[in-house]
Amino acid sequence: MNSIWEVIDKAETGPYMEERDFDLKVVAKKCRELVKEYEIRFDPNEIVTTDDSMADDVYEAGMRLALEAGIYCINTKRIIKFDESEIKEGILSAPKELVIGQGRDSRVLYARGIEDSRRPIICGGQAGAAIPEEWYLPMSISYMKEPLIDMINNGGLAIVEGRKVRTNTPLEIQATRRELTMLREAAARAGRPGISFIAGESSVSVLGDLAIASERYMRPSDAHLVALLNELKTDYDRISKVVNFTEYGAFNVTLVDPIIGGYAGGPEGVAVCFIASFLLGRAMYRSEYHVCHPIHFRYMSTSAVECMWNLNIVGQAMARNAPFIIMGDVWTSAGAGSEMIFYEIGANTITNVVTGTHPLGVSATNGKYPHASGLETRFMAEVAVAAVRSKLNRKGANDLVVKLASEYKDKMGKPDIGRPFPELYDVNRVIPKPEWNALYLSMKKKISELTGLDI
Amino acid sequence: MNHEEILQNLADSVISGDEEKAKDFAKKALEAGIDPLTAINEGLMRGMSQVGDDFSKLKIYLPEVMMAAEAMKAALSILEPAALQKGTGTLKKSKVVIGTITGDIHDIGKNIVAMLLRANGFEVYDLGRDVPIDDLIKKAEEVGADIIAASTLLSTSMPYMEDLISLLKERGLRDKYIVMVGGGPVTREWAASIGADGYGDDGEEAVKVAKELLQRVKGK
Repeated sequence: MNSIWEVIDKAETGPYMEERDFDLKVVAKKCRELVKEYEIRFDPNEIVTTDDSMADDVYEAGMRLALEAGIYCINTKRIIKFDESEIKEGILSAPKELVIGQGRDSRVLYARGIEDSRRPIICGGQAGAAIPEEWYLPMSISYMKEPLIDMINNGGLAIVEGRKVRTNTPLEIQATRRELTMLREAAARAGRPGISFIAGESSVSVLGDLAIASERYMRPSDAHLVALLNELKTDYDRISKVVNFTEYGAFNVTLVDPIIGGYAGGPEGVAVCFIASFLLGRAMYRSEYHVCHPIHFRYMSTSAVECMWNLNIVGQAMARNAPFIIMGDVWTSAGAGSEMIFYEIGANTITNVVTGTHPLGVSATNGKYPHASGLETRFMAEVAVAAVRSKLNRKGANDLVVKLASEYKDKMGKPDIGRPFPELYDVNRVIPKPEWNALYLSMKKKISELTGLDI
Repeated sequence: MNHEEILQNLADSVISGDEEKAKDFAKKALEAGIDPLTAINEGLMRGMSQVGDDFSKLKIYLPEVMMAAEAMKAALSILEPAALQKGTGTLKKSKVVIGTITGDIHDIGKNIVAMLLRANGFEVYDLGRDVPIDDLIKKAEEVGADIIAASTLLSTSMPYMEDLISLLKERGLRDKYIVMVGGGPVTREWAASIGADGYGDDGEEAVKVAKELLQRVKGK
């Protein structure tokens, strides 16, 4: 049995290595070798794949990487290694279902399968964004009042009481508490008092996280994200977050976000790195669920073709071999208020729900600008439900995803970033302004016609 | 082996990230009487330019760029002293001090920018991650940098970039350095609002902007 105590022991006693050697001689080298050995190939015309054997190969290669590489602890420069029995114990004990949230607003979050006919759980919010304090409440309500949204992961606060929050300073505590206070208030006002949160986004270091382990802020039915650092790394801040929430009793969620073009290589190497990250993340953090977030080295967006292929192959590889509960991020280059965002949401969401992940988003403009609202996330939910209702299989999904991606992939370098939340919504009544609503309706019609889905 | 073949081999050694080959052909270039600066500009730099292009098209990835930079460094360790000895001068390289700023440990984006700057002939002092603003300034003063570049993936580390500019002003050093910022949450508008000189949406743009600024501000 491996617990967080043993993880701390390993971080203090594991093999010593210089970080650069771990990056180049372990991660980069092994990812390349494994991609070559298993002949893993990315095909931009097959974003949603039907090749089960490739999914199994990616999984097997990822398992080997997990065993051979381990996780590098930045503080101690030591490698936290797990043996096969420890990783398998992590897989076997991983929850297949979880009850999140409370009362009427609780949901069963489950390990999604390939071409799963069950309704996916929809997680709404502009995760990863810095949202102005004065809009945080109405913006959060805009997500929570959407009946199709099951849980919330909104951004953090970069300004509190008019003061800029700096990482690892006292204001981080206040920003994180304020974020949670406003989320609670938003949930009450939206009539969703028990809705589950993935929150504490204002807590970049461990400070904010420590300050919200209380029913007043986070409930045990809520969750926080604990990242694996790029690639296959952690540090004491991340481990401290895990210790805190493990003892508090709320959910740990591993955020895995390897970079396409970084140490793991191209889309194929990143897929292998993803599997290793999920397996090691479970063994190390004991995470109840996971977030799959491929990053494109230039566009960032998960809607980039290479990133969607990753969501697809990783989702399938895990669903077939180690069914974890995985949320697939929907991060777009375009912002709310644009036409482009609807195509990106459509392609990314279809990919996710058909290949084993629940959609989490929409983080419009990749969280760079607070140009987001509940309405485009409603669209994400509608696409997800329509894809499942129409029993879309992988072949059919690929045709639609390729078609939708062709509408935006050449515009990702200069996307339409849309408009800020107050220009899209009446912030007092928290309803979309007529112009934004009209664009939503027209794009919904256009994408329904383009895809044949009953959105 | 004629001069062109030697220069091509130098370029190839950088492209393949082969340190031994790079050193070997640096020596061969000198033995063949090729001017060291010609070997650098028409051999090594040509290879690095190809590396930069390949990376931007995702034909190669960060580790290959890092290995190419290492190969170039190995060859330069032979060619630069030879240039000095010959009295033909050395490459007048512009200097960049770069780091992921205070509070942030995300460094891959910064590493990409640092590597691409190296690939384009800059002398780069990479101070790593979670770098206090004071350390960036001290290093810039120590090496006589032209550019101070700061990166972050965290919106809550962005204020430290403002602090960097304020501190430079307080110390009367603002005009001495070009300040560039970038990273996930950093926008062009925000960079301008804090008085940074340049911003890059990605590594390629960062290099382009650095070159333009050097020419415009420092006449280099």
